[in-house]
Amino acid sequence: MRKSLYETDEAIMEGIRNDDDRALAYLYKLHFPMISHFIISNSGTDDEAKDIYQEGVIVFYEKIKGNSLELSCQIKTYLYSVCRRLWLKRLAEKGRYANRIEDSENYLSLEEDVPQHEENERQFGVMAEALDQLGEPCRSLLEDFYIRAQGMQDIVEKFGYTNTDTAKNQKYKCLQRLKKLFFTSYKPEV
Amino acid sequence: MFDHRIYEQIERYLAGTLPAEEKAAFEALLLSDPRLADQVQEHRQVLQAMQHYGQRQQLRHKLNSIHTEMETGSRAITSELTAWKVFFKKHAQTMAVAASVSLLSVFGTLWSVQQMKKPVQQQTARYIELRREVEKIKKEQRAIINGIASVDTPAPAPRSARFSGTGFAISPDGYIVTSSHVIQGADSILIENKAGLKYKVTEVHRNTDYDLTILKVEDPSFAGFGKLPYTFKTASSDLGERVYTLGFPREDIVFGEGSLSSASGFEGDTTSYQISIPLNPGNSGGPLLDEKGNVIGVINGKQAGQEGAAFAVKSSYLLQMVSEMKEREGNLTFSLPQQNNLSGNSRTQQLKKLQDYIFVVKVYN
Repeated sequence: MRKSLYETDEAIMEGIRNDDDRALAYLYKLHFPMISHFIISNSGTDDEAKDIYQEGVIVFYEKIKGNSLELSCQIKTYLYSVCRRLWLKRLAEKGRYANRIEDSENYLSLEEDVPQHEENERQFGVMAEALDQLGEPCRSLLEDFYIRAQGMQDIVEKFGYTNTDTAKNQKYKCLQRLKKLFFTSYKPEV
Repeated sequence: MFDHRIYEQIERYLAGTLPAEEKAAFEALLLSDPRLADQVQEHRQVLQAMQHYGQRQQLRHKLNSIHTEMETGSRAITSELTAWKVFFKKHAQTMAVAASVSLLSVFGTLWSVQQMKKPVQQQTARYIELRREVEKIKKEQRAIINGIASVDTPAPAPRSARFSGTGFAISPDGYIVTSSHVIQGADSILIENKAGLKYKVTEVHRNTDYDLTILKVEDPSFAGFGKLPYTFKTASSDLGERVYTLGFPREDIVFGEGSLSSASGFEGDTTSYQISIPLNPGNSGGPLLDEKGNVIGVINGKQAGQEGAAFAVKSSYLLQMVSEMKEREGNLTFSLPQQNNLSGNSRTQQLKKLQDYIFVVKVYN
């Protein structure tokens, strides 16, 4: 029944734009076998397939969210192209060069999309590391405030601060440390 | 204390919740204080990175849950399909080449078989059958005439014949002989002589070995050609004998003269003579006569690229064919001419007597 709901690529994209998780789930399930087959028949494992595919979907998802996607082909082809490229890179990093890639689909070269994604990935890696090094309770405090967008009052109660000012001060200190950690290892390539 | 207030202000500035005048003041401060500007820039980056990071984590989480949900469900049936697709992709080129080779060989074989089946047509490379394609010549002539003097346009003519050749009477009962290739593929055939007599004829007997066909006048009002002035020679003629023909290589009757140059025809064909008469398309089917006015053959073709080498089927084969026809048809009113009225006459006299019995054969299809 969902099938009829997201029959066309446009419908899927519209669904993702409207934060419809079912559209995403449908898209995810629809194309996974294709990528999985591609990765496995080119010397990959199930886990790697999952990894690569998720990255591919993320690229696609963020493109749509950022409204920067000019899709000149089917979603299927786009995903295949992105994943193909990611997988080739992964193979190169592992020191294994694929001499002959067995393709089951046509693909595009996608000169821009993938490097952009890699840059983002690098940033996230640094951020994750910085947050890890930050330690508790700073990490939770910052995540609660900035990511989950909880109110100051809730945070005061949750962490047992005497008033909002202390909490704010604490948050400031945490952020200061995070900034230091983040910028020591991350230099934007601009 | 002071620092976190600044931070708060920066955050509010970035979030765009600063009141207008405070915002203006802050922006002025940014311009004058590069350290503050750097701070703001950094702050923005960290916040953005953190927010993106959070979103990404969430998305990952979502995808993971979708994945596990999917894995508990049934596992891909499609992998079989994609395996086939990979196979196809890999071998598509080879398959295309194989397919084209096989197609080529099939059609090549068909073509060559066709060629082998038609030795006669192959011969045309060197052997030219003298039937005339009328339309082409007519058009050319009209173009020439129009070029000479632009006469007012003639009334639209009735459909003209597609091909034409020559034929001549072999019996007063309305039988005509011509070359088989002249009437090849004909829908209807008309004959017409110099005097303007026109008859519709049909084919009654054909022998493709000799390239001869006998036609018969169909017209119910037809009363016979009258007494034919020539006879048919049964014996072979001698080398060097002076011979002539009458035919229709164009609209008017044309006389051609030469001598019998060989007792055999194209590539040693013993059914025909080689003659040295200049011939043109349209001469096919015309009579070949000797000095005394005996028909000794039927004009048939010439050799390409060879000067003065034309061919005529010997009259003895024509007679043989006539008897074949009589045998097949049973009771037939057919009488060959017995008396020759031409011998002893001058050539011009002979031609005058002859020309009424020579017809242009027009083939429509």
